[in-house]
Amino acid sequence: MVTLALIRDTFREALARKIFWVLFGLSTLMILFFLFLLKIDIVAGATATVSLFGRQTRGNPDIARVVRGVYGGIATFLYTFGMFLAVFASAGLVPSVLEPGRIELLLSKPISRTHLLLGRYAGNVLVISLNSIYLVLGVWIILGVKTGIWSPVFLIAIATTTFIFAVLLAVVVLVGVVLESAAAATMITVALMIISPILAQTSMMMRLLSSEWSRNVWRTLYYVFPKVYELGHMTLDAIQNDTFAGYTPIWTSAGFGIAVLGAALLVFQRRDF
Amino acid sequence: MDSEYAIETQDLTKIYRAPWTGREVRAIDSISLRVSRGTIFGLLGPNGAGKTTFVKTLLSAVRQTRGSALIFGRNASDPAARRPIGYLPENHRFPTYFTGAGMLDFYASLSSVPAAERKKLIPKHLEMVGLSQWGAMRIGKYSKGMLQRLGLAQALIHSPSILILDEPTDGVDPVGRREIREILTRFESQGVTIFINSHLLAEVEAFCREIAILHKGKVALTGKTQELTAGKGYRLTATRPSDALTSELGAKATSTVVRDGLVDFQFPSRDLVNSALDLLRAQHCEIESLVPTTSTLEEVFVRTVEAKVDK
Repeated sequence: MVTLALIRDTFREALARKIFWVLFGLSTLMILFFLFLLKIDIVAGATATVSLFGRQTRGNPDIARVVRGVYGGIATFLYTFGMFLAVFASAGLVPSVLEPGRIELLLSKPISRTHLLLGRYAGNVLVISLNSIYLVLGVWIILGVKTGIWSPVFLIAIATTTFIFAVLLAVVVLVGVVLESAAAATMITVALMIISPILAQTSMMMRLLSSEWSRNVWRTLYYVFPKVYELGHMTLDAIQNDTFAGYTPIWTSAGFGIAVLGAALLVFQRRDF
Repeated sequence: MDSEYAIETQDLTKIYRAPWTGREVRAIDSISLRVSRGTIFGLLGPNGAGKTTFVKTLLSAVRQTRGSALIFGRNASDPAARRPIGYLPENHRFPTYFTGAGMLDFYASLSSVPAAERKKLIPKHLEMVGLSQWGAMRIGKYSKGMLQRLGLAQALIHSPSILILDEPTDGVDPVGRREIREILTRFESQGVTIFINSHLLAEVEAFCREIAILHKGKVALTGKTQELTAGKGYRLTATRPSDALTSELGAKATSTVVRDGLVDFQFPSRDLVNSALDLLRAQHCEIESLVPTTSTLEEVFVRTVEAKVDK
């Protein structure tokens, strides 16, 4: 009951913030785009025409490729712009709970601090995952109905987006608990997202870096930090080529998320309010 | 809930250390206090005395450096110890996205009040604090007094055994204050312990059975309100007599203040003031005034704090 109350409270607060409506609105726009503007005519199981904004594409495109292309586009949107918006929107949800006059009342209730923080964390992950479900499932159903192609691999984007958001949210929570600043939480988390594709160039950097020491530093950073870029790439590969690169980015990112969330809980336990 | 005390602290100390300089500030210092079950207890003290830190330690929002705090015999840091507590913080900041009813529902669920019970309790408590017409309204639109009353309903909704109220009538108009007092009196008659942290001395005097005055993080005075304010007597002001007579009368008076050629004696009884009058008149001292006095909590408070300052 208490966990549910904490999750519902996070939902209420999220819905009271305009930025979450922007996120939801963008997802709705994308769904409407595919619903009304992308027109695909299929004759005898093959694509006859594909038209966008009323203009027909040239030639006779392979419909399966078009659909996978759209899926890839949506997944890329979710991983880049969508993730940035999600982090930006969520950054204030932890500091707001720590405001004087609010936190004391929450702490006076018969719940542990761990429960309180994890409840808020879970609520936040759920808000974002629902938005992913809404967008991915919406596009999947529309394209499935329009083309007759029901490729379930696209649905993996829901799980990977939610997973990487959960990892990044751990950073937001830690910074929020330590600094009580939504701006600092956003900046640090976005910085992690930005350095991810740079750190991913490990094989090239191993060749370029001259000393063993600097290579070790690079490797350590690569394995420690969450692999937003690789996970996005893996999702894209799975959707478009049905290939799967391996589990290392998943478990190293999960390890990072658990460690950071653990640190946030520890700091929260020890703080005076 | 076996303890005979609702609140029991032993050597409770909180020391804050500045992160860079390491300088220590003792917000509360070795506080040992007992609040009996079912009483109304007032915590008083000047600004910065440590009242809020003390309350926050009881709620485990602040971790003590030393000592113990028990709520009905359970360690205050145990979440289960907070189950019987209803708390209204000072300068509360309730989330404005709630409606009045929604806020009560949220805080009641954090105290594990079942949904079916919440449905019955919410309208009842809104009515009790005079907000039944406002339950569906977002609390962003509430006045300060309305928020205070909603905060009180929030503190009461899970039927607590102890109410910890930080400035409960802050921002409430006189009629609202009286209503809050009536609500609290009703809960006192049901055996609920009420612990009030307030600056309003007259209100504490009228309402609290026991008080403690904190000063510079320590308990400066504690006792039953009735006993502490029982200092009735007479204040005699006269032109200054000889030093010998001043000393003689000063020994019998509870206080002696010399000022601008006059001297104020406070005597506890009519006999003493009459004999003092005789002696003063025998020395041809002129009597400026003779006033019967009653000791108010304000006087007790000022005396206590000033005595501590002098020391």
